[in-house]
Amino acid sequence: MLELLSFGPNGWGGQLLTGLAMTIAVSVSSFALGILFGSAGAAAKLSHSLVLNGIAEIYTTVVRGVPELLVIYLLFFGGSGMIMAVAGVFGYEGYIEINAFSIGVAAVGLISGAYSTEVIRGAVQSVPVGQIEAARACGMSRWLILRRVLVPQTLRYALPGLGNVWQLTLKDTALISVTALAEIMRVAHVAAGSTRQPFLFYTTAAVLYLLLTTVSTALFERAERHANRGVRRA
Amino acid sequence: MHRHPPVSDTAPAAVVVEDLHKRFGELEVLKGVSLTAREGDVITLIGSSGSGKSTLLRCINMLEIPDDGRIVIGGEAIGLKKIRNGRVTVPADARQVERMRTRLGMVFQSFNLWTHMTILQNVIEAPVHVLGVPKAEAVDRARKLLDKVGILSKADSYPIQLSGGQQQRAAIARALAMQPKVMLFDEPTSALDPELVGEVLRVIRQLADEGSTMILVTHEMGFAREVASKVVFLHQGRIEEEGAPDKVLTNPDSDRVRQFLSRHLSGAA
Repeated sequence: MLELLSFGPNGWGGQLLTGLAMTIAVSVSSFALGILFGSAGAAAKLSHSLVLNGIAEIYTTVVRGVPELLVIYLLFFGGSGMIMAVAGVFGYEGYIEINAFSIGVAAVGLISGAYSTEVIRGAVQSVPVGQIEAARACGMSRWLILRRVLVPQTLRYALPGLGNVWQLTLKDTALISVTALAEIMRVAHVAAGSTRQPFLFYTTAAVLYLLLTTVSTALFERAERHANRGVRRA
Repeated sequence: MHRHPPVSDTAPAAVVVEDLHKRFGELEVLKGVSLTAREGDVITLIGSSGSGKSTLLRCINMLEIPDDGRIVIGGEAIGLKKIRNGRVTVPADARQVERMRTRLGMVFQSFNLWTHMTILQNVIEAPVHVLGVPKAEAVDRARKLLDKVGILSKADSYPIQLSGGQQQRAAIARALAMQPKVMLFDEPTSALDPELVGEVLRVIRQLADEGSTMILVTHEMGFAREVASKVVFLHQGRIEEEGAPDKVLTNPDSDRVRQFLSRHLSGAA
């Protein structure tokens, strides 16, 4: 039975490995996109503009309040239509199809970003105001303060929360198997159906996810140790 | 007893504050304060809490934006403009404010060293990234300053590993690294354990002896008397009395100053 997992002609090893790589690619891209959305969302929530506050509030409320699978369906079935409508405004009438990878990354990134928004907002607010004042008093520009003081300090407070968001994001990528993108979950599903060994393949998938989460948790711990240099050492 | 030599009335003005007003919501904290610090002056601002002395100091480097009045640093007035139908005052040119701040070294009550950087990194940060000083040169200068304030051995430690007194001395070195024209001290010893106050005051006194121009908010009356060329007493957002330390701190004209001093006798020895 284990030869089903091998890399031989009858084995699914190669495809599972490709699925693993695909899961990593989707997760990393979605998480990065989520950090981007999250930073923008946090900046909007912390701004003094009521319009920006409102947009960010709607974003996090809707995305966090709707089942993640539904967000993926909405983007998968509505995404092409939306982009074609926008292209139509600019005079383009052809059919535009977006590949499953981009849709998946956009959907999971959107979800991930909604959670990151709250984590980053809280972290920015945790940075003591004196740290920023000291930077202003030295004549630093806003951009320099952001780069040299606010981001490194925010990271320190955000990393534990972002580690959590990363795990959620990683697991959410399993949901985009519904779009037939060949990531771990999709490969396991197909293999389970064609070999009639569902338990074997779903167990394998679980092991692969556990492998990813364990390794990445360790990486996040290292990152936290680095970001906290000068804090816990004393 | 040690005294600051008098500063000539003809010395160039380093900081001029004219008719400064500052409101926090309904509360008017500064109600028209004017002050001139000439080069070589050591001005100590004293007064009860809430008298506006810290706000005045923070207005000088625009950490608080005054609602009305003028601030002139080294002959250059800081441009302010009114927005939202005159209800809010903001700097006219953020760049100008940043440039002014590089000439004003600020030392905070709570040190505010950047906790993610070592002491040396704290000291070279602004010279390298704001002034564009080459790193090797900045490190060289930083080590000399850390030696001067007596914590060179802590150069590679993080702020949390230092005592409060050491952190404040590092913060003074950080401010000095910008080679400011004027040093501003906002209650530099108020957050320190009593036994650590002396080491910080020693460093400030040394700067005064070297002829640095300084404006200092403090509760240490004895120290104020020793280092100041001028003492300014604030009461409810106005200057109640100002003058030579021996006059204001021993024989004030104002009853309010007299009452204040009798409450702070312990430090006025």
